Amino acid sequence: MADITQLLQSLITGVGVGLIYGLVGIGFCVIYNASGIVNFAQGVFVMLGGMICHALLTRLGLPLVLAAVLAVPIVAGIGMLIETLVVRPMWNRGATMFAIILATLATQIMIERITILTLGDQPRSFPEFTPGGPLKLGDIAVGYQLFWILGCGALMVGLLWLFFTRTRTGRALRACSQNREAAALLGIPVGRMLLVSFALSAALGAVAGILVTPTQVTAFNIGTPFGVNGFIAAIIGGFGSAAGALAGGVLLGVLQAAAIVLFGAGFKNVAALSTLLVVLLLFPSGIFAGFKGFKRA
Amino acid sequence: MALLSVQNVTMRFGGLLANDNISFDVPEGSIFAVIGPNGAGKTTLFNSIAGSLKPTSGKVVFDGQPITGLPQAAIASRGLIRTYQLVQLFKDLTVAENVEIGFHRVTRGGVGSALLRPRWFREQEESIARKARELLAFVGLGDQADMIADKLPYGRQRLLEVARALAAEPRLILLDEPAAGLNTQETAALADVIHRVNERGVTVLLIEHDMGLVMKVAQRIAVLDFGKKIAEGTPDEIRSHPDVLTAYLGGVEMADG
Amino acid sequence: MTSPAITSTRASWRDHAGSWLPVLATLALLGVGLSSSGYIVTVLGFAAIYGVFSTGLNFFMGYTGQASFGQNAFAALGGYGSAILTAGHGMEPVLALLIATTVSVAIAFAVGYPTLRLRGHYLAMATFALGLITYEITIEWTSLTQGYMGYSGIPPIGLFGYELVTEKQMLVVLVAFALLGVWISNRLRRSRFGRALAAIAGSEPAAAALGVNVAGYKLVAFVIAAAYGSVAGSLFAHFVGFISPEVFGTSMVVLSFTMLYLGGIGTTWGPLVGAVIVSLLPEALRGLKELQDVAYCVILVAILIFAPRGLAGFAPAIKQFFNRGAAAKAE
Repeated sequence: MADITQLLQSLITGVGVGLIYGLVGIGFCVIYNASGIVNFAQGVFVMLGGMICHALLTRLGLPLVLAAVLAVPIVAGIGMLIETLVVRPMWNRGATMFAIILATLATQIMIERITILTLGDQPRSFPEFTPGGPLKLGDIAVGYQLFWILGCGALMVGLLWLFFTRTRTGRALRACSQNREAAALLGIPVGRMLLVSFALSAALGAVAGILVTPTQVTAFNIGTPFGVNGFIAAIIGGFGSAAGALAGGVLLGVLQAAAIVLFGAGFKNVAALSTLLVVLLLFPSGIFAGFKGFKRA
Repeated sequence: MALLSVQNVTMRFGGLLANDNISFDVPEGSIFAVIGPNGAGKTTLFNSIAGSLKPTSGKVVFDGQPITGLPQAAIASRGLIRTYQLVQLFKDLTVAENVEIGFHRVTRGGVGSALLRPRWFREQEESIARKARELLAFVGLGDQADMIADKLPYGRQRLLEVARALAAEPRLILLDEPAAGLNTQETAALADVIHRVNERGVTVLLIEHDMGLVMKVAQRIAVLDFGKKIAEGTPDEIRSHPDVLTAYLGGVEMADG
Repeated sequence: MTSPAITSTRASWRDHAGSWLPVLATLALLGVGLSSSGYIVTVLGFAAIYGVFSTGLNFFMGYTGQASFGQNAFAALGGYGSAILTAGHGMEPVLALLIATTVSVAIAFAVGYPTLRLRGHYLAMATFALGLITYEITIEWTSLTQGYMGYSGIPPIGLFGYELVTEKQMLVVLVAFALLGVWISNRLRRSRFGRALAAIAGSEPAAAALGVNVAGYKLVAFVIAAAYGSVAGSLFAHFVGFISPEVFGTSMVVLSFTMLYLGGIGTTWGPLVGAVIVSLLPEALRGLKELQDVAYCVILVAILIFAPRGLAGFAPAIKQFFNRGAAAKAE
């Protein structure tokens, strides 16, 4: 019976981590929909969210809430910086898609190194948002932070929905994802939409990073695993829909948690990456027509 | 005897009937044209023949063998070579290199021979280089052999695509709207090249919108309208065919090609 | 004034200069290496090893126009294969290198066959995942790889008991490997095989329409790149005598891409030229210390933005300059 408890316990943890993957996955989709670019540096926003929040907390002694609220716009600003300095110049010169992917990958490494130099290479963490807990349900413990993740995840999806349906910018962004040429003809500044999408996507990543840090740790090198898992979540969810990415993330998180119980923690990343390959190979270019139809002039 | 035989080809996309039971035979050594107004199903038919689409029903027979639904490379390897409506050149390579690649089907050799360069390999390379220049001269691009293909004017890119297709020594060359985007002068040069290609013994099937070109070069014409074949015959027969006049020209008097 | 005969002799002279000048330059560099101190020898050794790696990558990314962000996986296979077989089992280094390369080639076939059906971002992410999986395995399978600690005590390369003990002896072998790698690359490019790869890079539909088996050629290019990567990994293990997972990590991907793009992707000599320049960069960037990795990334991004064809992009301008000079002289 202990094994069942253990499994249930890890599944609950999996849901929390999975929601985080889902938020990262939505970040991928936001940029991809606006531009057709897949930003390989997506995971770096998760890392920066946690690290910057931690730095504001410990170095400036800010209260947790303030640190968290401040960290998000800072990371969004970094996202806009990446767009302005790296992605847009290449985009304007008609660089190949592989070159842009490579540039975002290089950007990720650059940011990781700068993080080591400024914030250190040690793993960091900060306390859960609500002290106390965990909540006991029989033998199963549910940390309070999970509710924060659930709540903030729902809040983010709600805000995104409002943004995309109720604001001019959001609607323009959606128009771009439907048909960029037509959007440009309608007078939508397609170039600026790329900037908006990077800011939005970085903010999503930062929220994810801040939410997840109390449940584990953050360090300069957590970007790649979160980026890859977020990408898998986005793929499972259909690379386009926010709800799909969130559901994909939860599925992936639960699978991973189960894999850890069954095979041990050591090969957790190998399991996740193999899932990626299997998903990719079972649905080669087929399930999301957007990829196939997308062509750079 | 028919080199290519299209037999009852039907292509359905959901509710849309793009090709409805189309049949015709392309005799060996002829210049055959398929014409029709925009949306008549020409491109769909072309793709069914060339292998990028598998028809819903019906057969395409090349040289006595069914080729329906075979992959593009397999169809090419039998000697049926196509060109593209929007030219698909190897843009970063020179004009001569583009044609040299065309010889892929009719030459041999892989990694091993490329490393060891035995005598037959060197002779083959020399012959490829020489024949490529000959083909370029043949289509009138002899002077531009060392240019980067992308830098050629559009009309000449078309001719280069024809030269590259000829390098593959096709038995049948399938031209997809070769006159699209060409001016009168370029179209005339193209017509001349098509004639001379045919004189080399290559069967030509062209799918074309431009009446002038078709009337000038084709020996036999099939007319499509709304996915159906409405007429087939010599240019003179087509010119005076009442259905063609109403359907294709909307009653307007036909200009002499 | 240019009769066809003159043009053709000049073209052939230029062709020969084009293929011999880099060889002479490489040998000159080898001479410099042999007559200088240990540090330069080490740097040039790395340059030659990375030259082999990047030249291989160029088959897949340059000639064929595909993308692999996970070629470091095969360097890790080669490196760990050689380390385990020689240091762990006392095997002859050359034999170990051959076995490791064979294994890499077999794995590249098996992995490449399904993976290369993917396109675009999916191909990029899937190959990236291959590299990451290999990295994780080298860390986690400690009984085989000794994990984070790395594998030490790898003997220098040698044959029949005769070992190349000094770094300078080893440098000669490494440079020979690099030149052999470029020679093979050059021969393969100028052949029916190389033209088929170029056709795929130019337009896959057009290549298929001319009878090129697109999937098959892509796979062969991928496997060749894997073989080069594996050999480079083996050479690294023997040259340094120690390997760890970090050696074949993601930064290897970025480093090799920097070399490839700096020298000129798709050119025969570009990858090796890029490898030499990038390997010498730490000398120039010495003042930056910890910022070195950042500097690499900045350089790579700058090349990608401003000169996507690398140094090779300047070749036509230089050629034009010389031609103009020749024309002026003729008049």
